[in-house]
Amino acid sequence: MSDQKKTFRDEKEMPLSAVSATDMRWNKTGSWRNVKPYYDPKTSPCIAGCPAGENIQGYIELAKGERYEEAVRLIWQNNPFPAVCGRVCYHPCMDNCMRKEFDGSVFIPAIERFLGDYAIEQKLKEELPKERFDDKIAIVGGGPAGLSCAYFLAKRGYPVTIFEAKGNLGGVLRYGIPEYRLPKDVLDAEIERIVDLGIDVKTNTFVGKDITMEDLAEYSAYFIGVGLQRSRRLGLENEEANGVMAGLEFLEAMNSGKPVEIGKRVVVVGGGNTAMDVARSALRMGAEVTVLYRRTRAEMPAIEDEVEEAIEEGVTIRFLATPVGIITSNGNLKEIKCQEMQLGEPDESGRRRPIPKEGAYFALKTDSLLVAAGEMPDAECFQSVVSLNYGLIVADEYGRTSHEKVFAGGDIVSGAATVVNAVARGRGAAELIATEIQGGIFNPKTEKKVVAIADVNTAYFLHKRRATMPRSEGTHGNNRFAEVNLGLTCEEVQEELKRCYSCGVCDGCDNCWVFCPDVAIQREEGVYTIDYDFCKGCLICVQECPRGCLSVESEGK
Amino acid sequence: MGKYPIAEDELMTPGHLACQGCGATQAMRYALKALGQKTIVVMPACCWSVIDGPFPHTSLKVPIFHTAFETAGSVASGVKAGLEMRGDSETTVLAWAGDGGTFDIGLQALSGAAERNEDIVYCCYDNEAYMNTGIQRSSATPPGAWTTTTPRGDRKRRPKKKIIEILAAHGIPYIATASVAYPNDLIAKFQKAKGIRGTKFIHVFAPCPTGWKSAPELTVKLARLAVESRLFPLLEVENGHYKLNKDIPQKPVREYLSLQGRFSDMTEEEIQRLERDIDEFWQSLLIKENSGGLLPGITS
Repeated sequence: MSDQKKTFRDEKEMPLSAVSATDMRWNKTGSWRNVKPYYDPKTSPCIAGCPAGENIQGYIELAKGERYEEAVRLIWQNNPFPAVCGRVCYHPCMDNCMRKEFDGSVFIPAIERFLGDYAIEQKLKEELPKERFDDKIAIVGGGPAGLSCAYFLAKRGYPVTIFEAKGNLGGVLRYGIPEYRLPKDVLDAEIERIVDLGIDVKTNTFVGKDITMEDLAEYSAYFIGVGLQRSRRLGLENEEANGVMAGLEFLEAMNSGKPVEIGKRVVVVGGGNTAMDVARSALRMGAEVTVLYRRTRAEMPAIEDEVEEAIEEGVTIRFLATPVGIITSNGNLKEIKCQEMQLGEPDESGRRRPIPKEGAYFALKTDSLLVAAGEMPDAECFQSVVSLNYGLIVADEYGRTSHEKVFAGGDIVSGAATVVNAVARGRGAAELIATEIQGGIFNPKTEKKVVAIADVNTAYFLHKRRATMPRSEGTHGNNRFAEVNLGLTCEEVQEELKRCYSCGVCDGCDNCWVFCPDVAIQREEGVYTIDYDFCKGCLICVQECPRGCLSVESEGK
Repeated sequence: MGKYPIAEDELMTPGHLACQGCGATQAMRYALKALGQKTIVVMPACCWSVIDGPFPHTSLKVPIFHTAFETAGSVASGVKAGLEMRGDSETTVLAWAGDGGTFDIGLQALSGAAERNEDIVYCCYDNEAYMNTGIQRSSATPPGAWTTTTPRGDRKRRPKKKIIEILAAHGIPYIATASVAYPNDLIAKFQKAKGIRGTKFIHVFAPCPTGWKSAPELTVKLARLAVESRLFPLLEVENGHYKLNKDIPQKPVREYLSLQGRFSDMTEEEIQRLERDIDEFWQSLLIKENSGGLLPGITS
């Protein structure tokens, strides 16, 4: 009850009828509550899906406000390669996007690419580290894993040296992925920005051949990220014949501008990204290309978009077929004998195992056979230092190997994986290395609460089609090696940004404040608080939050 | 989704006695945000006469005149006349009645006020039964619904009274429907009503978790589904001219029904009949809209 008292001196001062004197704030309706809503920002599912853990929701929010520089710097905190990954990543972020079932996932890689390209156009530089340490770190291999590890160590102020066997940095990004998917000037620009942090680069230095690990004794720690360098062989007779070539070798020659002769008819073996890259590159050289894959499209390990684009460009894919014989004449490839396959029981990878269809053979006349049936490790030179398993270096998620000073990551640990996996492992190892050198306790894992589909209220979102990226013309003519996917314009990116729900992160939409029947939510400068003196626990705020920023707990527990 | 263009001032305070998830409370909060401080509320017996709190307390920062069940229309007329006699033409008189006090008990007084074209805003917040007395059916209760006076085995069969049509027949200058799920729309309609002289009638759809046997957190969702399913179309009738909100994509009514215990006994046949009724009502509204107003309006 209120303490307010009103005294009337005579009748004239009194109102004509009974009039309320005080409000109802004495009545603390919070005691009615049996469940309690509370603000609980969560991780967007796109972020949870990104192996590198890029703050996708965060950079989208910044980009919406045209704060592109801040947005790209936010990406760099997790991945120094937005222009590269925006082009070549298999974008698991999009598979996780809450918009997927509504009207199609947000085109996250197109946004990432735009921001990466913005940084290149604006010639944005890294901020140099504030601290400097003396402990030198050697990075073996200048591909995505090694560059990522070097980058994150250099940003922390460690002197880093990269030892690269080939003539240039980039690894698979340079020698594996063709120009039409990843232009070299884009790659060069991102590598340059990384190296400009003060990274020492020794190219044409093959650790294990030109120098040994023992020669590098002056370093405090080592990171091995040498990738998979050997193409898997088919194990057929005549595999040494003229016209048979490893897919990686072919791509490397193409990417280094070395002349390659493949003839008019080309057969590619394999169903991964290398096979697609090989097939589409051969197509651009004017060949008629047939890909042989022993399973069906559903089992292909290649990125779905790459398969789609390859088929659109005119690559023929023969599913359920595998080469079983190479027929030559005078040491030159003439014909490939192929076996038809069918799918049997699932194997350990969960994909259905291909088994030969008895008596079903066919022959393909061809000028070249490009084998892209997988890549294999070549890490024997490290076996005196670290443990290997089936040729791969044994290391945990953060790159810790059997040797306390040696760390490893990327494909040489994971087996054939992805660019973003290599970047993530490089960064993880950098964190671990820095902590170990400082003698700290490494505790990287933080529990993430990820937004679930049930938390999102799509009633507040309008259907809006995803932007489509324009493509260059054709695989023939003068520009046939030019980039295929042309990116989005600034205006298109802005439209696409608006499609983001901003899952799990409050954007001040006011729904909770507006719909509270008990006026129990206060709003001050975009921050909401719940007044538990009055909140009755109806949970309308939780239900009507479009992006799942509130959670519920039981009262009295 | 941008911010809501809603006044910061709260003329309804917390501590009120509404049940968890009460739609009628949201309606009051928005209406007062739209009408502002210079408002007098005339309130017959209804949920809100309880929600407001016991004497000498009140949840509203504007005067409320509590009155008898059947008198919202006549008392509001009288209050307005009194204000005018004192030279106050600024203050809005808001008659605030439930569906019982509007569709049933207060219909005569409302009809009288509308016929005289009294300069009042009459809001019926409709929770589709006599809720605070124990969920008895009203003529606003929809067919198929359970109430304590239309129990299981003898649920309501008669259609919901088309109150908008009754008011339209009076030829008053402004009639609108609004929903607590669309606060911007609701507020805009109250503000528009404030600027019109004569009788303004606003029919607000306000879900009642207690009476509908629905989860309190679903209040806004149910109000939204009622509009989306065209069970409760958003419309305005200005001087006899119908204007129907056709921008909201239609959704089946089944989800709306399935979220409420009061409809749990509805048979497939009843649902299909309801779907037909929804379509026919919508078509009839379209015809009225296209005809440019079948009823003569009053221009003030």
